[in-house]
Amino acid sequence: MSLWKLLQVSSAIRSIARSASYLGKVKYDYDLVVLGGGSAGLACAKEAVDNGARVLCFDYVKPTPVGTKWGLGGTCVNVGCIPKKLMHQASLLGEAVHEAVAYGWNVNDQNIKPDWQKLVKSVQNHIKSVNWVTRVDLRDKKVEYVNSMGAFVDPHTIEYSVKGGPKQQATAEYVVVAVGGRPRYPPILGATEFGITSDDIFSYDREPGRTLVVGAGYVGLECACFLKGLGYDPTVMVRSIVLRGFDRQMSELLEAMMSERGVQFLHTTIPSSVERQGDGRLLVKYRNTTTEKEDSDVFDTVLWAIGRKGLIEDLNLPAAGVETKNDKIVVDSKEATNVPHIFAVGDIIHGRPELSPVAILSGRLLARRLFAGSKQLMDYADVATTVFTPLEYSCVGMSEEMAIQTHGPDNIEVFHGYYKPTEFFIPRKSVRHCYLKAVAEITGDQKILGLHYIGPVAGEVIQGFAAALKSGLTVKTLLNTVGIHPTTAEEFTRLSITKRSGRDPTPASCCS
Amino acid sequence: MQRQLLNTLGRGTRQLIRGQQMRPLSVSAQRREIFKVQSAEDFDKKVKNSQTPVIVDFFATWCNPCKLLTPRIENIVGENAGSIKLAKVDIDEHSELALDYDVGAVPVLVVLQNGKEIKRMVGLQDEDKIRAWVAAAVKESKN
Repeated sequence: MSLWKLLQVSSAIRSIARSASYLGKVKYDYDLVVLGGGSAGLACAKEAVDNGARVLCFDYVKPTPVGTKWGLGGTCVNVGCIPKKLMHQASLLGEAVHEAVAYGWNVNDQNIKPDWQKLVKSVQNHIKSVNWVTRVDLRDKKVEYVNSMGAFVDPHTIEYSVKGGPKQQATAEYVVVAVGGRPRYPPILGATEFGITSDDIFSYDREPGRTLVVGAGYVGLECACFLKGLGYDPTVMVRSIVLRGFDRQMSELLEAMMSERGVQFLHTTIPSSVERQGDGRLLVKYRNTTTEKEDSDVFDTVLWAIGRKGLIEDLNLPAAGVETKNDKIVVDSKEATNVPHIFAVGDIIHGRPELSPVAILSGRLLARRLFAGSKQLMDYADVATTVFTPLEYSCVGMSEEMAIQTHGPDNIEVFHGYYKPTEFFIPRKSVRHCYLKAVAEITGDQKILGLHYIGPVAGEVIQGFAAALKSGLTVKTLLNTVGIHPTTAEEFTRLSITKRSGRDPTPASCCS
Repeated sequence: MQRQLLNTLGRGTRQLIRGQQMRPLSVSAQRREIFKVQSAEDFDKKVKNSQTPVIVDFFATWCNPCKLLTPRIENIVGENAGSIKLAKVDIDEHSELALDYDVGAVPVLVVLQNGKEIKRMVGLQDEDKIRAWVAAAVKESKN
């Protein structure tokens, strides 16, 4: 054989050998397809790429009934945590103007009004800049991104189409469903035509005016509070209790704080219908389920905050055989669905906290398990959280009733106290609801089971304690920690009165 | 030449009357020099295939420094009458195009000649700096 023929044959043999070894690896278009470009999906996608995977990420926002849309980044960035915090800040600043007068500032604090349009524009400008940064980040990290919904055709194949173009398909070794959820609408007359939700309020093109907030979870309470702080007149309609799932005593204290600030509550009431009157305002009919009395009232805006449902309907999950429960996807401790190579993270999971940081960490850990050989599972216990009302409520660990239930009332010691933030004295701000408590085991060094705090910057206060709790914080250590003075966080180190003692938890003064 | 005189006269008169810096009078040639990119094809035709060098102003509607930069660069391009053009690109409308040119933070000014990038400026600058930068771009494009 000539040299040339020899070279040809050997190169042919080599390329056949290469394809044979490839056939084992490259069966799918992608190593990972992520459905959803929110906190969970993006964290998972980026971590996967960092560990060498080929990743395709889908994100798409179906407009709300009134037409609101938004960009890449998910609920947190667009219609959740971020705009909520900004509006919360806006309302706090309104309060601060009044306090400034007491501190000697020559500001005219009479009849100050917010410019709602300007606030919305600033908030939306920030959100859009985050959308862009997210887009650039995906590109820099080499995550392929498609602005489209994806639906299962079979367990390894996703079908999609971009801007109404031709249907395309992508196959993946692993699929992570991270499509999150959207607010529920009640099944009553006028709900979708005349009511809005948290999806709409942060870009609302008109002033909310007199608002009915239906729902007393943290979304409802936070919205009612920033609306109140901005000078509007909110009423909260509560079906049963405020902040279901949270510590009862703290929830009731928070509600009392809101009432003191002028937020109206309609207790044990459910809405029956919403109609638009001739003058454009909304007539809401409702029923008090305790008194069985029917009543009605007129509002400018009706905001539904009655809970969120997972976005399972457009996924065509039956084609992949994935099981769901109550509009959410069921997963095990590895975030795996009943189909071994299909996972779910974030708000779409059934029975887990609907929080961004939970979604982000679990998404990252999942990617590491899939592509970096990690064995670490997500720890969903002792997740700290904050309700951003004007006096904020933050907690980590067990509620008092949960501790009593798991340990028994005789095995629990609750340390508690009211406190007075130094900055509140001069403007004579109400300290009636500034309160904190530590729920601990009664024996030994008294391991702390839960910490609860109502007061300013509650999230900042509790964050460090969450790490301490995770490390096994005891009352002994807590009370031997020297406080930083003057702060409100130091009150945790000054806890001395137990509920069991029956002593008055209201302090006389600070510093001793 | 006559257009330049008209522009200067117009600007001068308006300054006298209103006492503030005004944007130059829009004359038909200017509309060819300063334009907003409508599509990828538009960009190819008017920017990549342009005989004259083009400054591409990548901006976003939600970006406040961009709102300050655009009138400044329009002013300065107007002063250079014909030696350099200005193409404005909304990065939300033309995301792929912006990403292709490595746009991260905005505003970004990119000078393209015969489709190749000569220089770029990231962020808002004061008018003198921009003027000097544009002058340098015009000079480099002639070499």
